[in-house]
This record gives sequence, structure tokens and C-alpha cells, in this order.
Amino acid sequence: MSDSRESKDGVEMMPVTLRVNGRNFDVQIDSRTSLLDCLRETLQLTGSKKGCDHGQCGACTVHINGRRVNSCLCLAARHEGDEITTIEGLGQPEDLHPMQTAFVACDAYQCGYCTSGQIMSAVALLKEPCGADDASVKELMSGNICRCGAYPNIVEAIQSVRPKNGGKKK
Amino acid sequence: MPAKKKSKSPLGIKTPRVDGPLKVSGLAQYASDFHFPGTLYAVPVEATIANGRLAKLDTAAAEKMPGVRAVFHRQNIGKIFRAVKGEGMEGIIDERRPPFDDDVIRYYGQYIALAVADTFETAKAAAGVVRATYRQKKPNVATDLQADDDPAKVNTSFGPMARLESERGNAKSAFTKAAVKIDHTYVTPLVTHNPIELQGATAMWDGDRVTIYEESQGIFNMRSVLAQMFGLPKENVRIITKFVGSGFGSKLWPWTHCILAVAAARELGAPVKLVISRKMMFQTVGHRPRTQQRVRLGATKTGKLVSLQHDYVYSKSILDDYQEDCGEATAFHYSVPNLRVEFGRAKRHTGSPTPMRGPGAVPGFYATESALNELAAALELDPVKLRILNEPKKDESLDQPFSSRHLLKCFAVGAKRFGWAKRKPAVGAMKRDGLVLGWGMAGCAWTAGRFPAEVNLRLRDDGTVRVACGTQDIGTGTYTILAQLAAEKTGVPLDKVEVALGDTSLPEGPVSGGSMVTGSLIPAVYSAAEKMCEALFKIAVNTPGSPFEKQKPDQLSFSDGRVFAKKGGPAKGVPFRDLLSRANVHYVAGSGKAGGTSSEENPKVSMNSYGCHFVEVTWQPAIAQLRVSRVVTVIDAGRIINPLAGRNQIEGAVVMGIGMALLEETEYDPRNGAPINSNLADYMVAVNADVPPIDVTFLDYPDKAVNELGARGIGEIGLAGIAAAITDATYHATGVRVRELPIKIEDLLTSSILR
Repeated sequence: MSDSRESKDGVEMMPVTLRVNGRNFDVQIDSRTSLLDCLRETLQLTGSKKGCDHGQCGACTVHINGRRVNSCLCLAARHEGDEITTIEGLGQPEDLHPMQTAFVACDAYQCGYCTSGQIMSAVALLKEPCGADDASVKELMSGNICRCGAYPNIVEAIQSVRPKNGGKKK
Repeated sequence: MPAKKKSKSPLGIKTPRVDGPLKVSGLAQYASDFHFPGTLYAVPVEATIANGRLAKLDTAAAEKMPGVRAVFHRQNIGKIFRAVKGEGMEGIIDERRPPFDDDVIRYYGQYIALAVADTFETAKAAAGVVRATYRQKKPNVATDLQADDDPAKVNTSFGPMARLESERGNAKSAFTKAAVKIDHTYVTPLVTHNPIELQGATAMWDGDRVTIYEESQGIFNMRSVLAQMFGLPKENVRIITKFVGSGFGSKLWPWTHCILAVAAARELGAPVKLVISRKMMFQTVGHRPRTQQRVRLGATKTGKLVSLQHDYVYSKSILDDYQEDCGEATAFHYSVPNLRVEFGRAKRHTGSPTPMRGPGAVPGFYATESALNELAAALELDPVKLRILNEPKKDESLDQPFSSRHLLKCFAVGAKRFGWAKRKPAVGAMKRDGLVLGWGMAGCAWTAGRFPAEVNLRLRDDGTVRVACGTQDIGTGTYTILAQLAAEKTGVPLDKVEVALGDTSLPEGPVSGGSMVTGSLIPAVYSAAEKMCEALFKIAVNTPGSPFEKQKPDQLSFSDGRVFAKKGGPAKGVPFRDLLSRANVHYVAGSGKAGGTSSEENPKVSMNSYGCHFVEVTWQPAIAQLRVSRVVTVIDAGRIINPLAGRNQIEGAVVMGIGMALLEETEYDPRNGAPINSNLADYMVAVNADVPPIDVTFLDYPDKAVNELGARGIGEIGLAGIAAAITDATYHATGVRVRELPIKIEDLLTSSILR
């Protein structure tokens, strides 16, 4: 159970059960709450970031039923019954996903703010039809803006993890 | 027992970031990631005119909305003082007027009210129903910049400055007499930093003390500003900023949203969280101003410069005096006997500009290096050769030697790596795979120096080390640099070093600006290590049963984590943890301070970093498509402490440079003064698919004038010069000289190669 809070003065809150990172959360939320705001403010899973709130930057990328989605464009209340995975559910420092490890090794970030979204996109990309070359990876990663410009290292990290590529090195 | 082999120095080694595991797992906490019980959410109301007066504000509907705690405006926000600039990095704020201070609207998006509610959703809805009535006047957001009628000396964020910035010889008459002349005006648009992290603050009061979680590039300046504005002693204000989602200058100084969050938290007696929207990021947290720069070069027929005039105008806000110093590097970067650099300002109804990555030098180099490339074309001379011909032997503006300048080596290395010798200079002369190739190059420089810094270093009885400094890591790798420096001085491996930063309760650290953090921290860490050793040696000689008992402290030495007698050598050394445990001391500490270079009264050398870019573009005439296909960048920034993060920073600057040359411009609607492309779909920045292979080389010549390791800074220089290299490559491919950024398809449709 999260620490959801009922507002005073008769604000209508709705009960919603969300399944996030393999756990069920029963929350009371405003019907207008985006999935991103619900994750961040209600469940306090702040790994997913808000960079634009318009689906333009990709910092809020999560997986819904295994597919990458901009969580700022989703209403939380519409995702009951869905399997939601955030960066926290992908791997923690003592047990990182290979993509997370590759991002550290390749320095595939600078400030780290877009990184959760980059990694969630990159992990989803592994199961998408994506050509083996760098140009294909760049194209499929272009919905995630990195203003620090760590793109060459992001591509390198992803290519090092992709099995069909045989762990291609730069 | 043989002495443990001295471990390899961690300096200069490609080092993955020590904070990396936190960043890739979502555990790194940025300012808006902290939660406190009872937090209220605030959403500002933005003015929808850019010039005029707020006549009426109707907050009734918002106040009646369930869940709304307050709607603040000029009448109920409470006292907010005005901050004044103090000594050094104190009291700096680019929009100095306190929010809600009067009813005058001077730019679109200026905050006129603040809705606070139990939830973000309610606060946003409440802000949306506040109704404002204005007495509107026509705003001036014109892009053509004519200098205002300013006095010879004007105020700037850092104090008064003469508009005639630099002069030697007689530039005008030398230009008139010159055999070859170039006279062009170069324009850079108003651009917005757009770090992906939205700015915001969570403020909470405890009596007359306030704590603010805000992503800041300079927490101590922010503390001094907020202390002044809320009438508090500095000690009562604490700023915490553990991770910053990059800044590029936009988070250097505090902005009005932060002040509103602190004021609202004061009035409501609860924590208030205010995170601004992406749209507001275009309106209220600064931008790089528009610049219009006339560059006049006079040269001999062989290419020796005889005159350089750089006259520039930049846009500024109505009230404030931010200065974009486009001439920062002009006076020292070229050898020329006659030079004149002068600036003017043009007031516009926009928010205040603020430093953006490489402020001044980035637009400045775009202009001067573009002019140099045009001179090379006029002389039919290779642009690299032209620069070699005009390479100064000293800083001619200060009449001082350069501390360490290897620009010619940059050119040589870059030309070789790029294959510049194969260049055919005629427009459209080079082709590959059906595409026309364009090659261009430019040089760059960025000032070097140090800010004052204090560092605390601790050795602990469990064999670990803590290094602490109230500076910030804005993505530049400061956590890792501090860990590397502490590891170097203590011999403790990186994973046993704890780094504390981003908190005003720590010793005062430098602002994350000017590319000066690493260079400033080095002498402070080294000084702290000395003090720490003194304390450790005292324990070593005073602890009963210590192998060094009754020796004198000055007979001891410390390296690789072991204390040893100088006479006996490291082989007989004792690990510090053993000494501390034996003495029952938890930790031994040392604090070290190092001064800034701006306080040195007579600096004897001119300290800067240098570099160059070689760029290839491809031009596909059939569809008028221009792409940057390859970049080679060489940087002379002294010694590089972490080449992994260092290369990344230069690549990132080149990426931003591709955006500067081809994509970025904030456009204002002349009718209402609104930035109209205020979102990340309409304001284009480079994405992954825009970025070609980037080849970065560091020359790695230590500059001991800056600090003992010879490290200068690398955060900004990579963005200087790149746009001039891209526009020159574009000319080479298309025959079109673009003198106003960004390059647009419309510009290229005039290419003769289309036909």
C-alpha cells in the first residue's frame, strides 16, 4: 500500500490498483493523474523523470506489458491490470540489468536525468525489429533526447548488449 | 615482508562514474525526487502579454476549487526583499526584481500568481482558472538588433563595464588601408538551454530556518540570494542539490520560481513543491540572447591580419543587465596590431538572458572564425594556413605570455586525423556516393582559471575515505573527479571513497560554471590532504604502542594509504586504519582552501584552453538535404583527469554545436511576445540520429599555472567554433554562405548546386 493521501474539501479521488515492478499498489488518485505523476508523486518511484510532460523527450519511458511507452501521456487510472515496469524494477545497483551495466561502462550519460528513459527504451529495443547497424539503433533511440549529447556512448552501450551483434565494440 | 607495490594512480585513467550505478537504476535523487509529509504543490500563473500592466486578477474560481490551499499574488505573498550583488559569487541573480514586485509586465510568461493545492492536478487546474485582465502595449521582440543609446560604461551582472571592451593601435585606419578586406555581420539566434530536468524547488521552513531542494549550479550563491530576499542570516538557509539534470548555465543563478516556492512555504507553514513546465523553461529561466556581430578584417595579400574590428549587439531584458561577452576571446586569440572590440545592447520584452554554455565566446567565435574562413576564401588560402600565419606569440591584449597554448598542434593533429590534406577547395569539388561533400574547420578557446574552493578530507578507521565539498555535479563528473583526487592522495581505491557534495552545510565549493570546478578543486584537495597528514602524523607519534611512538611528525610520510618513517621507507609502513584503530579515533580530517585566480592581483600569464574542429557535411542537392557526417575535434585543455567523461563532454558539446548550427532557435510571436516554439517538438535539439561519428583527441599538456596537476576545464570549449566549422563546410558543399544561424533549408535552396 502506498502512502496515497485523500484531499480535504471533497476532492474526488478514485481507487486504482496498479501493478508496478511485480507488486500491486492500491492507490487513491485524482482521475486526471498521469501515470508518470502517479509513479513519481504517489508511489514515490522517482526513477522515471518528467522532462516535458508532452511525450516529446522520452525521459518518462516505462514498459507497459513489455512495450515502451511515454508514461506522461498515459492516465494512471487506465492502466489497471497492466504490467508496468519502471527503471527501479529493471535492476538495482547490486543486481543491474546488462543494459544498466553497459551504460555505466560506456559512460552513456552525463547528468543522468534522461538515463532511465534511455535505458527503458534501449531494453525495449532489444525485442523490436531493429537493424544491426548503428544507424538503425540511432533511429530507434531518437525519441529519447539527451541534451548532454551522450548519444555516441548510448549507441555503443546498446550495441555492446545486443546479442545478434555479437557484442560489437566500437 | 616486501612492500606492497604502489598502486597505479587513478588520475588520467578512463574511470566510469562512481555515481553511475545510482544514475542507471533511478536511485540518484534530483531536486524534485524528494518527498516530505504534507507537501503541497504549486503551479504558477503566467502573464499572457509581454508588455503592459496587470489591471485585474480574478482568483475567486481558483480559490473555491476543492483542494486549493491558497492563490498567491502581489497582495498576499508577503515581504520579499531585493537582493544586491555582494563580493565574489554572492548575491548574483539575473532577474533581480522580486516576483510579484509590481503590476508591470515586461515579458511573456512573467509570473503573476501562484496556485497551491494538495495535489499537482488540483494546483494546475486552479492556476488555469485564474483570470487576468491587462492594459496591453505592443511588445518589442524584434529580431533586428540596433544598439540602444547607452553610455560608454554600462552595468552588467558582474559590475560596470566599458562598452569599448578592448582597443589597440588604430583599427579603423588600418582597415581602410588594408589590401584585403572582409566586412560581414553574423547573427546567432536567441536559444534556450533546455536541460531535460525541469527546474523546480521544494522549500520547507522550520521556524526562521528554511531548507530548499533545488537543482542549482551554484548553491552558495543561491543561499546568499535567498538569505537576502527573505531577510535571514545565511546560516539559516540551506540548499541541497545532490544531482542536477544538467544546466548549461540556466541553473547558475536562482530564478523567480524558487523565490515563490520559498515564499509560499513560509505563508502556508508546509513544504511546497514547485516544478515549472517545459513551456516556462522558455520564459523564466534564461536563454542565450540573440547576437548581431559585425566583423571587419583587414589583411595583407599574403594573409597577415592588420586590423580586426568586432562590433556586436545582443538582446537583453527590459530591467536587467546580463552581458553576453562575445568579444571575450577576440582580443587575445589572433595576432593583430590594430584591434577594436565594442558592444551595444538592445532591450527586448523577453525574460532575462543568462549565461549559456560558453557564454560570449560561443557566439563570438562563430562570428570571428566565420570571418577568418571568409578571408581565407578571399585570399584563396587554406584556412588552417591562415590561422597559422596569425597565431600570436603572446596574449597581445594583456601583453602577457600564454601559460600553455598548443593551438598549432591542435590544427596539425586535427588536420591529420581528418585527412585535410586531401581537401579540394573549390565549391562542390568533392563527392562521395552521389553526395557533395563539404569540409570546414574553425578554432576555439575558452578562458581558464580557478574559483575559491574549500575541501574536507577524512580518513576513517574502517579504511575508507570521505571527501566533501559544497560544489555540484551537473553531469560533468565532479563526484568521480573528487573520488579520483581523494584516491590519489590517500591510496584508497575508488570504491572506498565516499563523496559528499551539493549541500551548503559542506565547506564552500565553486559554482559549476566557467569550466572551472576541476581546476579549482585540485589545489583544495591537495591542501586538505596535507592538513590531514599533519593530523594523522600527530596521532602516529602520540599513540602509545604505535610503531612511530616518540618519533617526530616531520620524520613521517604518507603514501598509498600507509604511514611510514622517511628513513625506513614505505616498506615498513603501517596502514592508516591500523593507526586510527589503535588510537581509538574514528576519523582524522583535514580542510584545505585554495584561492581563485580572479583575486590574484597581477596574474603573469594568460590562461585559456584551445582547440579546433574539422567538419564534413554531405549535401544531397536533389532533396536539399544537408547532414553533418563526420567531426574531428582536438582540445588542448591541460591535463585530463578522467578521459572517459572528458571525451563524453566534448562529444556532447559538438552535439549541441550541431543543434546550434542547424536546428536551434527560440522564435517570438511579434503580436504577443510569446516564445511560440516553447516545447521540445517545435524547438529542435539534436537527437541521436542527427549525430555523426565524432573523433575527439586531447593533447594533454599539463598547465601548471592553473594548478599542480595542470588541469584546465573542458565543459564549454567544445561548443566554441563548431558552428563556424559547419557553416564553412556548408559553403564548401553548397556555395551558400549562411551568416545567420541556424542554417535553414530556405537558405540552401539558393545553392547553385541545386541546378
